[in-house]
Amino acid sequence: MKKTIVIILLAAFGYFMATTFLDPEFEKHRNQNGVKNGYLEKTVSELKSANTVTSIIVSFRGFDTLGEVTVLFLAASALGSVLFKKRHHVGERSILLPASSIVSTGAKLLFPAIILLGVYVFIHGHLTPGGGFQGGTIIATGFLLMLIAYRNFSISHNVLSVIESLAGILFVVIGLLGFMNGGTFLQNFMPTGSLNNLFSGGIIPIIYILVGFKVATELTGLIYTILHEKG
Amino acid sequence: MVGSPVLLIAIPLLAAFLVPLLGMLWKELVRIVPGLVLGYLVILSASLYIDVLQTGTIVETLAGWEAPWGINLVFSPLTGFITTLMTFIGFIIWIYSYRFKRNVEFEAAKKYFIFLMLLIAGSVGIVITGDIFNQFVFIEIVGISAYALTAFYTGRNSAEAAFKYLIMGSLSASALLIAIVIIYSQLGTLNMAEIAANIHTMNPQYRVMAMIFFIIGIGVEAEIFPLNGWAPDAYTEAPGPVGAAFSGIVVKAGIYAMVRMMFTLFDISGTMQVLIIVGLVTLIIAETAALRQTQLKRMLAYSSIGQMGLVLVAFGIGTQAGVFAALFLMLNHAIIKPLLFFSGSYLVFNSKEKKIAEMNGLGKLMPITAAFFALGSFAIVGLPPFAGFWSKLAVLTAAANEGMLLIIALILLVSIVEIVYYFRVINRIYFFKFDTQSSVVPHKPRGNAFLAMAILGILILVIGFYPDAVSEMLNRAADDLLNTPKYIKNVLSIGQTLTY
Amino acid sequence: MNLENIELIRIGVYGTSILLILIGLYAVLTKKSLIKIVIGLSIIDGGIHLLLIGIGYIKDGTAPIFSPGMEGAADRMVDPVPQALVLTAIVIGFGVTAVALSLIIRLYRHHNTLKIDEIKNLKW
Repeated sequence: MKKTIVIILLAAFGYFMATTFLDPEFEKHRNQNGVKNGYLEKTVSELKSANTVTSIIVSFRGFDTLGEVTVLFLAASALGSVLFKKRHHVGERSILLPASSIVSTGAKLLFPAIILLGVYVFIHGHLTPGGGFQGGTIIATGFLLMLIAYRNFSISHNVLSVIESLAGILFVVIGLLGFMNGGTFLQNFMPTGSLNNLFSGGIIPIIYILVGFKVATELTGLIYTILHEKG
Repeated sequence: MVGSPVLLIAIPLLAAFLVPLLGMLWKELVRIVPGLVLGYLVILSASLYIDVLQTGTIVETLAGWEAPWGINLVFSPLTGFITTLMTFIGFIIWIYSYRFKRNVEFEAAKKYFIFLMLLIAGSVGIVITGDIFNQFVFIEIVGISAYALTAFYTGRNSAEAAFKYLIMGSLSASALLIAIVIIYSQLGTLNMAEIAANIHTMNPQYRVMAMIFFIIGIGVEAEIFPLNGWAPDAYTEAPGPVGAAFSGIVVKAGIYAMVRMMFTLFDISGTMQVLIIVGLVTLIIAETAALRQTQLKRMLAYSSIGQMGLVLVAFGIGTQAGVFAALFLMLNHAIIKPLLFFSGSYLVFNSKEKKIAEMNGLGKLMPITAAFFALGSFAIVGLPPFAGFWSKLAVLTAAANEGMLLIIALILLVSIVEIVYYFRVINRIYFFKFDTQSSVVPHKPRGNAFLAMAILGILILVIGFYPDAVSEMLNRAADDLLNTPKYIKNVLSIGQTLTY
Repeated sequence: MNLENIELIRIGVYGTSILLILIGLYAVLTKKSLIKIVIGLSIIDGGIHLLLIGIGYIKDGTAPIFSPGMEGAADRMVDPVPQALVLTAIVIGFGVTAVALSLIIRLYRHHNTLKIDEIKNLKW
């Protein structure tokens, strides 16, 4: 009985959504002259950063990124708080079964390559697709691989905490530096170089590197907390 | 001037990232630093607000790009008023919870203060931002902090309450995202002022759909019916000061977002009727549910939801007098409800079930706490000469000016219901004998909790005797909300930095 | 590419995203296992992100990156703003899912079951 009510409600909802989005009128009135043209133009002329999405995330809507970084920090803290773990010791056994020798050998080979790929992605965030979030996630998957392959692979939780906090603090401090240099919060105060150079875009690569570190350590800490959950 | 609006958010974030590091150095810092931060926020917010009242709205651009390329923050008579109120209540909550879990669990206390700071910073962000996607991000910040704070205690039910809150919050955030999708695809911008300027070019069907999704999206935080199912459980399971924070800070931000959306962004005629209907339904259902409650905090939660329904009705009346009354109600509720939560927490401190029936006779054993609770109850039902009387009077006057007799009748009926269930509790506290068999050991409040409750109590008395002290500010705020063209002009005609 | 094919692409993308949202909603509203409810939330998120990116599509558009040789091609690039919004939304969705899973772990510790019927201590 409940299922039929739900299906009827969903059908009505789906109908409303379909008539809104699949209507040819929707497409015709889609606004092509909004902010995007300005962004595409300013990223070349003023910011000298090739990847428009990166310059939107770090510069134009940098405040959103600060909020997003805070959400990640909150999620990692909430995880620790909800599972109310006591400080666990280094070298504690995880709850996984031991991995086969193929996985353990392969993991040892792949781990440095994955880390390198992640670092490459977040350093070149303003030149190629990618950036801090993407690169940080890649690094975290490298750590996940090692955690699955080796049951007593240990990472010091303190070190992760410190790096995470430092990265966040530096992000806000750079924003405040822009503020105090007679401008606004997160304003670009470094020379912007020329387009498609590694050292271009002012503070964009710096902030994205910080974000990369923060995301990598946060996700690793998160995975570590869940894996070492005492049953 | 001690700073600018962006510091209202940047400083708490910086402190939240710093607290784990500082906690490794000296454990007491975990409690002191949030207090310093929240105190600074109150001073900053108040000084900016005084500035705004003298010179005009402050619009601050971020990252060096003027609107609509960049995000901008708007500190106006309305947003400044709400922000100062929220930061002030946040500071009071810090005073009240200073000794929280002291010497017991350091990790838990550290997390508590971080979540509290971010809850307040996020709520401030919802209010002062001028960009709808930025508002979405801040709503999520408030959401995750709230989920974590709800699940704070390790008992059986808190995780379940937090999970229910999470599912509803998550669904509503998805609805909000769909609304942003519709608006961006048609108008090409995310800036509130520009949306307000261009909204009339949008197809009415899409406008209505976007508005419906917006209401669903913000309704969970604003606790309107039928999206407030999570609230009674969350308020009951969360620690006392957290309940005060939810009802005094978070829900105000939600109501502001809803009202800003209705008044400024969407100009459809008939939105006022929607507000009135939603507000009335919320009010009636919540207050009648409060009547049937046996647990104290649950009763206070339903009462809180009902008051917010009344606020929406007042906003829905739509005139300057109506908005004035609504803001006055918000101000009073933000001061009175935390006092009720604080004193209520101490009155049922050692009881497992937190039932009202266990509060018999506590009027003799904990006279001051009971007096605070009584003061709060009188104020909230609207007895003169306490603060709540003037705001209820303002709502009824505004409704009478528009000839809305049915609304006046319903509000008066509901007020009678309120009197019944609050006086039931007071009756038990003062006129019943204390049950020496019960497991409730009276636990007197310590110095800091007493100080927090005293400040709130004094404020209630002050506003009650001199309501004119606040009416100037409220009038400016009300005028600001109704004056959409001025908002658009303020935001869109600025250069790169802080301008007036 | 004539207009016909664009309509098909558009209907395909929007239709798939709406279908995903409906499937996710169905999972959240009817499934009994807590993990399936959280998976439903993730599916809804996926659908909305797809919708958001689909909004930004421009016919024959290319990625909004000005690599060497593409400096003048601004009017042939897709809209970069939805991509930035989706990035933020994905991270936020991930954070909420992580908190939800940790709550499920705690609920499992207390009640030893994942079925929502048996955990209803509080009134739903």
